[in-house]
Amino acid sequence: MKKLPFCLVLLGLAGCAGVQPWERDVLARPEMSLDNAPLEAAIDDHIYFSKEASSGGRGFGGGGCGCN
Amino acid sequence: MPKPRFLLSLALACFALTAAAGDAGDPLDLAQLRGKVVLVDFWASWCEPCRHSFPWLNEMQAKYADRGLVVIGVNVDRERGDADRFLRDVPAQFRVVYDPAGTLASRYDLPGMPVSYIIGPNGDVVGRHIGFRNALRAEREAELQKLLETSR
Amino acid sequence: MKNNDNLNAALAAATCALLGSAVAAPVAAQEESSGWSFDSTLLYYGESDDRVRDISAAVAAQRDFGDERKFSATLTADTLTGASASGAIALDRPQTFTSPSGRAVYTTAAGAVPLDDTFLDTRFALNASWTQPLARLYTVSAGVGFSTEYDYTHLGANLSLARDFNKRNTTLSAGVAWSQDDVDPVGGRPIPLAQMLDVGNDSNKRNGGESKDVLDLLLGFTQVLNRTTVLRVNYSYSDSSGYLNDPYKLLSVVDPLTGDTLARVPIGQGPDGVYLFESRPDARTKQSLYAEVKHAFGTPVMHFAYRYMTDDWGIDSHTGEVRLRWPLGDGYIEPQLRYYTQSAADFYRASLVNGAALPRYASADFRLGDFDATTVGVKYGHGTTGGNEWSIRAEYYQQTGSVPQEQIIGNQARREQYPDLSAVIVQFGYRFRL
Repeated sequence: MKKLPFCLVLLGLAGCAGVQPWERDVLARPEMSLDNAPLEAAIDDHIYFSKEASSGGRGFGGGGCGCN
Repeated sequence: MPKPRFLLSLALACFALTAAAGDAGDPLDLAQLRGKVVLVDFWASWCEPCRHSFPWLNEMQAKYADRGLVVIGVNVDRERGDADRFLRDVPAQFRVVYDPAGTLASRYDLPGMPVSYIIGPNGDVVGRHIGFRNALRAEREAELQKLLETSR
Repeated sequence: MKNNDNLNAALAAATCALLGSAVAAPVAAQEESSGWSFDSTLLYYGESDDRVRDISAAVAAQRDFGDERKFSATLTADTLTGASASGAIALDRPQTFTSPSGRAVYTTAAGAVPLDDTFLDTRFALNASWTQPLARLYTVSAGVGFSTEYDYTHLGANLSLARDFNKRNTTLSAGVAWSQDDVDPVGGRPIPLAQMLDVGNDSNKRNGGESKDVLDLLLGFTQVLNRTTVLRVNYSYSDSSGYLNDPYKLLSVVDPLTGDTLARVPIGQGPDGVYLFESRPDARTKQSLYAEVKHAFGTPVMHFAYRYMTDDWGIDSHTGEVRLRWPLGDGYIEPQLRYYTQSAADFYRASLVNGAALPRYASADFRLGDFDATTVGVKYGHGTTGGNEWSIRAEYYQQTGSVPQEQIIGNQARREQYPDLSAVIVQFGYRFRL
């Protein structure tokens, strides 16, 4: 399995962190989603972009209920 | 040829089941269900796809009960109230077992949520589905039908 | 130009769909819904001293096609009025400038920081994206964006891929976004470092538009730390090339002793001082590292984020943000605090000294200077019985800058050296399902 060494690196990074799939009740709450207010985030980014020299950085993906 | 990791999980599930069957307090009562095809589905109130899987599980239970299908939903919510609220919105027409401490979930070492295990008439775990996808309903139903045929 | 569409905002908004929440779903029972959910917002932004005022409205719509396949689209409309500091320094006497169109003049009172000529600008932006799983642990998202205002058009596309590991405790993602922007300034593009001339004289301008291309790359890592905590770390790389100037920004040419702007006698109508249009490099590379944590302690949720940005213009910035969502009655209250600090661009100049060699690049745009900014705000949200949510947010933003000591000349020391900025932001939001 070519994937194996890569998985080991990730496990190393992640350490023993993480939870079991049936323990994601808190993470599944909408306010625990990292992107729970995307419109607000986009508007803020736009305001700050027009007044400052930095922008963005937020990205996407991960967290939440981990379902499916 | 199924992936080695998948076979290992099935083996683990098998072990969990035989261990459970040996247990006086097996909440799933699988020993009693020999001869039937059992679909054990782990669900939670916070699991969005479970809202879509329940209507299908209800349909399967209704359609194939007299052919020997038993659907058991195992709830892993910590708070019974959360599970009850979900069941008011999305009723279950199959047997529901509660696993608030996650004992059963750990024993099966669930790979994801939701997850269904299909147990054949001889008590062996013959299939597993991680997640619920509408697109796979027909395929999964065909799988069940095939099993129910052979269980006669 | 004053309202450049932000590529990263488009990327963030469109690729937020990757999580399946380009429109975060209101907490509601999934009854026989049509699959459409909406998030709408109305925002007012007002700076003090009659500077910029902006009203914007946005609607984001998302359609869930089942099995994690989602389409989302966002439409935004903005109306901007007012003016920002133009880069020219304040003087003890009134100053007259030629307007960008080259057809009129406008004046600044004595002692006041010169602002651009007042303008009214309406911008429309449309973003759309599609997200779907590629295989059980893979999610792909693609989006397009478009925005237009009277002197600026933006067109962009983005693509991203995420893969879950470790029973979905870990997610790695990668995204790329391209954009092409076209600038067609009112009155033509000023020749960099050319002098502001009299009304009707456009020999210092070039006709036609110019373009700016941006390439953005993003690598993300999300990790569930424990049952109540999730962490995300992103690395971004951004490469812009083309026309990066602000065609309306100026620099004052000042006397080396007094620090006052050199006087000029216009023939007819025109500027009464020597002002040069700014000049920026035609390429910019930015890199940033962003980390955020969400932690629930009981019902309240805390969010903390930090971003470090550095670029090849010499700007370094740090951003720190903290929010605390606290349940309050049937809703929640969320105070927020943001602190931002940036260092000036290498070519930032408060003014140009007469007699000194003209640098290749120079800008007095306060957005490229050395400043700190703080935002304090509070948001209140309330769920309705139908499962929808409305919210209101109020913030106060304050920017305080400084000019390097060696750039303060003569009389400049007695006046406001940096056009500090303060603004009030009020926002209403409503999320609903159909």
